[in-house]
Amino acid sequence: MLRKLTPYLFVAPLVAFIAVFTYVPILTSLNLSVRNWNFLTPDMPFVGLENYRLLISSRDFWNALWVTTLFTVFSVPIRLFLALIVASYLARETFVSRLLRGALFLPFVTSTVSIAVVFSWVFATDYGLINPVLGWFGIGKVAWLQDPALALWVLIFVNTWKQIGYDVVIYIAGLQAIPQELYDAAAIDGGKRLHVFRRITFPLVMPTTYFLLVVSVIEAFQVFTIVNVMTHGGPAGATDLLVHMLYRIGFVLFDIGQGSALAVMLFVLLVTLALLKSRLIGRKVHYEA
Amino acid sequence: MKREHPLKLALALAAGLLFLSPALYSIVLSFQTADSYYRGGFDFTLGNYRNAVGFYHFARYLLNSVIVSSLVTLLSIGFSTMAAFAFARFRFRGGDFLFGAVVATLMIPSHISLIPNYLTLAKAGLLDSYAGLVLPAISNGFAAFFLRQYIRGIPKALDEAAYMDGATPLKVLWRVIVPLARPAILSMALYVFITEWNNYIWPLVAIGKEDLYTLQIGLARLYHNNPGEGLIDWPLVMAASTLTLLPVLAGFLLVERHLVRGITMGAVK
Repeated sequence: MLRKLTPYLFVAPLVAFIAVFTYVPILTSLNLSVRNWNFLTPDMPFVGLENYRLLISSRDFWNALWVTTLFTVFSVPIRLFLALIVASYLARETFVSRLLRGALFLPFVTSTVSIAVVFSWVFATDYGLINPVLGWFGIGKVAWLQDPALALWVLIFVNTWKQIGYDVVIYIAGLQAIPQELYDAAAIDGGKRLHVFRRITFPLVMPTTYFLLVVSVIEAFQVFTIVNVMTHGGPAGATDLLVHMLYRIGFVLFDIGQGSALAVMLFVLLVTLALLKSRLIGRKVHYEA
Repeated sequence: MKREHPLKLALALAAGLLFLSPALYSIVLSFQTADSYYRGGFDFTLGNYRNAVGFYHFARYLLNSVIVSSLVTLLSIGFSTMAAFAFARFRFRGGDFLFGAVVATLMIPSHISLIPNYLTLAKAGLLDSYAGLVLPAISNGFAAFFLRQYIRGIPKALDEAAYMDGATPLKVLWRVIVPLARPAILSMALYVFITEWNNYIWPLVAIGKEDLYTLQIGLARLYHNNPGEGLIDWPLVMAASTLTLLPVLAGFLLVERHLVRGITMGAVK
């Protein structure tokens, strides 16, 4: 009897935590999203799809969706493009490439709040780092984080700086899996460097690109910390990304119903993307030599 | 390893320094007086650190971060190793289903549980407590998934030999599996520790009492509350920021290879 129970006892603690803090909350969110509640009132009346309707008809929601899409559409391709170029230079196991990989990877393991604070200083209008440097070239002060046309680009830059080391490390793993014989053959045929990259490296590293593409899109849709620390979603909503809007509705305005409705919509979107990932990767990843 | 051309080495070094320059310069900044910074000079001082640690309670925040991250790592890795062992070595009814549920947490974005977990912990009276910070962070299936793959690679004959000698499953796990899976467990422990150390959104909603701030919350508050008179006291803020990132950086530099391997293996299966 005890023998039969053994595996259950081993998995029980983890499964219990996952049930309580990951799976039950999905159901709770669904339930709360059809109710009107603000933490304080004793009852939470059922309001059907009212919260979803309110969200979809609000300018804030479309703004957040638009800003998040902009953030994603610009930051992800730039990151992957740069990362692939850098990775193809650093894929060899030399002292220099190991050193540079380490440097690139540091921001990824560093505290995001620290990074956000440091770059708030870098991009500060007065007494920052960038503006004085621009001043040497006769360029006047730029209000990087106070200008609605610029703030989002600053956040894209900061997020790229933080995440690119991860992309590079993953790309290097992908590049190193490409059989050397292919490159040897290309060398015998006298292939030019760019040509070899386009005909061998790029197609063979495609599974890694798919993986990183989906992972980075999911990551970009959940960016919160740099927004909260650097801009609070401002100026004028220009950086009010979706998760920041969720935090704002739920924990600043205390509108639990609408916050949960937003959480559910974002959840559906991200899980769809994640499922897409397993399909894409399931199909394209079998290039192994 | 091949010898590099010194020029190439210098160029690479310069590129790396340029990339890290904002962070490096912020550390330099933390060692100068605010006056000298605004004047455009450089007067060395340790006063910003004294101020951050003493007056602004960063010693306390550091302690909180260490306690919370250590507890999360210990519990999470303990539970994950146990579960990974069972999933790798036992066939049991519902086992595949449970394993699927554990792996699926990798796809579930954490924001969906933000409001519900807040309510759960409020009901349990655990907001504003270490438990409130620690408990939700344990519900992550990544380590269990990763360790199960690793344990499956350990020859089963070793377990069987131990069972022949009359060992219990718990003893097999502790005496056979854990020692052999040490590199994987260490990688995961580091990964969990760093992730928790840098966690921001959960402590932000779960903690109101200043005594329980983690470094991340303390730093964000210090920056937002702007301790300078009008001008932000950047040297003080950078001292606090350096205190926040240094412990993890030091750990990272010590064990870089383990960590990178853990993260890479998680991605490229």
